[in-house]
Amino acid sequence: MDALVAHSLSKTYRGGGRSVRALDNVDLTIAQGQLFGFLGRNGAGKTTFIKIAAGLLLPSSGSVQLFGTDVVAHPREVRERIAIVPQEGKPFYHLTPREHVEEYLQVRGASSETSKSRADEVLKAMGLEPYARTPAMLLSGGLQQRTLVAMILATDAEFLFLDEPTLGMDPFARRQVWEVIRRSVRNGSTVLLTTHYLDEAEQLTDELAVIEGGRVLYRGTPDALKSKVRREVRLHFSSGFSAEELAPFGEVYAERGGLTVMTTRAQVEELTRMALERKIAVNVGPVTLEEAFLTLVGRDIEEEDSEAPLA
Amino acid sequence: MTWRRQANAVFRICWFNGFLGLVRSPLVFVALFLTPLSFLFFLYVVAPRAELPFGVVGGVLFSCLFTGSGMMNDCAYLRLERQLQQVFITSPLRPISWVLGMALSELTFTIPALVLFLGVLTLVISISIGAFFALLGVIILTWLLASSLGFLLSTFFRTLREIWPIGMVIFTTLSVLPPVFYPLAAVPASFRWVAYLAPSTFASQLAVRAAGLPAASVPSVPALGSIPAELLGLVGLAVLFTGVAMRFARWREP
Ligand SMILES: Nc1ncnc2c1ncn2[C@@H]1O[C@H](COP(=O)(O)OP(=O)(O)OP(=O)(O)O)[C@@H](O)[C@H]1O
Ligand SMILES: [Mg+2]
Repeated sequence: MDALVAHSLSKTYRGGGRSVRALDNVDLTIAQGQLFGFLGRNGAGKTTFIKIAAGLLLPSSGSVQLFGTDVVAHPREVRERIAIVPQEGKPFYHLTPREHVEEYLQVRGASSETSKSRADEVLKAMGLEPYARTPAMLLSGGLQQRTLVAMILATDAEFLFLDEPTLGMDPFARRQVWEVIRRSVRNGSTVLLTTHYLDEAEQLTDELAVIEGGRVLYRGTPDALKSKVRREVRLHFSSGFSAEELAPFGEVYAERGGLTVMTTRAQVEELTRMALERKIAVNVGPVTLEEAFLTLVGRDIEEEDSEAPLA
Repeated sequence: MTWRRQANAVFRICWFNGFLGLVRSPLVFVALFLTPLSFLFFLYVVAPRAELPFGVVGGVLFSCLFTGSGMMNDCAYLRLERQLQQVFITSPLRPISWVLGMALSELTFTIPALVLFLGVLTLVISISIGAFFALLGVIILTWLLASSLGFLLSTFFRTLREIWPIGMVIFTTLSVLPPVFYPLAAVPASFRWVAYLAPSTFASQLAVRAAGLPAASVPSVPALGSIPAELLGLVGLAVLFTGVAMRFARWREP
């Protein structure tokens, strides 16, 4: 069964004499129990989609259904079944992490015993136990973010919207949060998550959509995305090659003071031979999701640019 | 979620947002006393002694009216700066329960000031139990009216920068201009009806009557200056403001 179905969803923000088309005829389905990821550059439309699907923003046209209920027509029915980590949300100044989780669960209708035991579990799992009794205003930015995420992940909402949940967290904390997110999915929740950490998307999501300019550019598993760009190998040269020389082999990026080229298995041999002849060190490795993303979105931007009339 | 659970949620919000907020940032206390207290001091210095009780009743009403300003600020802050309103309404909690919880929090912030002014009132005039409860009724209606207005306004702001000037204009017009701190009798008789354009006049006249102070007549519209008219006015306005707030408050960005 589909947990979320968006149909021809569009949103144009108006105001201040300009209009921005943030979503452009998006069709998307997310199956129940999925851990679905949104990737996309800043301003691609990810948050706009989430706000509409969570009943916090009205679309310009199109529809979204959550568990078969239309979000625009029945926002209250939908809101009862969801929870959201808003992008750049912050906890209350004066409350401790424990109070945040317990009070939020009680406000959502849980009993005080359930709230207490869930708070214990989640605070422990997210490494917040040592800070459980410290008011949020005395916590660091990453710990405040963890507090906010703990509130939401402690719920048993059927659909969780997580808009950049691990923003500003250290690598240990991020892994703890991933574990708690996975547990929510095991318990039957469906998750829609946005992130700019490509390793996070790769580790965590079953499937993802790449959003660019308000459209879904790609949808599939992280592995499929990597193979879609048909570049399997990355080679890094710290010196000795020019970008023009490498361009015929694949996408080229300036990186760590040298150049990285993403290429196919077949062409690796020729490139390494050239490097050996020039006595240049070469660094070979598999293409990461991040590189696949850069390639895919990069191609789209190039196409857009070439479509634009030359002045 | 059952009604009992909704009611429980309302009191939880009042507890952690209002009560804990108050005891953990004591400056709120001082801030809430300061404005009405300075008005009172001012009256004490310049006004004839007989008008002092009006000033004390004014302090009570001012505190109630400013729950509206607090409501507007806090709701806008929690929505725009903290995004917590979004977190709370995307849940089984009803939007109205969120609003009620917030409004009760604002009332909690005001209770110390209310206790002070009511205390002073018992010192300057003698007040019966019945009058005390009548005054309490006026307090509750005024709080309801002001916080509905405050909440409704809060939902329209797009940045926190817009709030301050608008709050100043609206809540100062409501609490300083109309006869809240001074008797209606001070307004020339033929213009008294104008004062009733402000909802706070209905509240202040009822409060003045409840406290047993001399109320002024409204010669141009005699029916206006009577308990039934003022009661009807205040209850009607409170219901109207609450209704309008529930109907027109923006829960979703357009
Ligand atoms: N309230 C608003 N008014 C006008 N334009 C807006 C508003 N919110 C977003 N936009 C515009 O809509 C587009 C999509 O924004 P959105 O916040 O959905 O992007 P995003 O993919 O979440 O980006 P990020 O990764 O930076 O969070 C952007 O061009 C943005 O400038
Ligand atoms: Mg965003």
